[in-house]
Amino acid sequence: MNNEELDKIIEKSFRIKPDFQLSADFAQKVTHSVVRREQWKNDLYEYLYLTGVIAVLLSVAGGLYYYIDKVLIMRFITFINGNVLQVIFVVFILNFIFFADRVLLRLLFRSLPRPLQRRGERVGIL
Amino acid sequence: MQHLRASCCQTSCMNDSELISQILNGNMNAFTFLVNRYQKLVVHITGRLIQRQDELEDVCQDVFLKVYQNLDKYRNECKLSTWIATIAYNTSINYLRKFKKVVEVNPDNSVALRNLTDYRSDNYERTDLHRYIHEQIELLPVQYRTVLTLYHLEEFSYQEIEQITGMPEGTIKSYLFRAKALLKEKLKFVVDENSLNIVKEITHE
Repeated sequence: MNNEELDKIIEKSFRIKPDFQLSADFAQKVTHSVVRREQWKNDLYEYLYLTGVIAVLLSVAGGLYYYIDKVLIMRFITFINGNVLQVIFVVFILNFIFFADRVLLRLLFRSLPRPLQRRGERVGIL
Repeated sequence: MQHLRASCCQTSCMNDSELISQILNGNMNAFTFLVNRYQKLVVHITGRLIQRQDELEDVCQDVFLKVYQNLDKYRNECKLSTWIATIAYNTSINYLRKFKKVVEVNPDNSVALRNLTDYRSDNYERTDLHRYIHEQIELLPVQYRTVLTLYHLEEFSYQEIEQITGMPEGTIKSYLFRAKALLKEKLKFVVDENSLNIVKEITHE
């Protein structure tokens, strides 16, 4: 057999596409998966941001009120010190409800993707 | 509906940099289009490396997920196809390492290459010669399969393959040459004129 012909055959066979295939709606599936992940991240950031804002607002309000009614704040601190476990439990429950509302339920029950924010842009919530 | 069609038409006319800026602005239609545009490239690289149809879709999905997550780090220093191929190559290699599916063969080890079976006309129908060559390619060590796919199938240059795989240009050339020589040797003494005509027919020469 001619050497050149054999070369051609082999080179041609190198160019034949392998049989591996993806499903017809692969691109849609990937996009949906990406959207879901991004939304989960956005929701989590939104939750953390809101939690931070609420914590800061409460601290600032408490700090300001300290100058108006020092006795009340001191009583409040004494109450927290006396009921640490209960306070932690209530805060935890409230925080969990908030987390479920902002993140978990959205993750579990959202079927259709909503439009994403620009990448890297923080969620506008206030 | 018309709006969606118009949007699809717009994305299909875009070049890579426009497509990237659209994706970075949150246009998911543009991302779907990017996946459609490059899924063949990713399938060829990933498929040849992992050689498992049942896990191919998951690995390809992982590749495009990484593409999306790192798109803002893409700096036009190379073609988008080269960049995506690099991600596909690294993801596939990591996948093989993670699940210990890669037999750590030294590609220069002649034992690994001797795994190639001899072509025997009693084992294969003549029309299966095409399948035979394919089977032999799949039996080659992973490094050989990678460079063959990138060079012949995807038509990347040596420099681009170097960027993708991190192999030196000399090694790439050597793998290409040796893979070809090996197959040639296997076929040289067994393919008769009739088979050659059949192969020509198959490959539409």
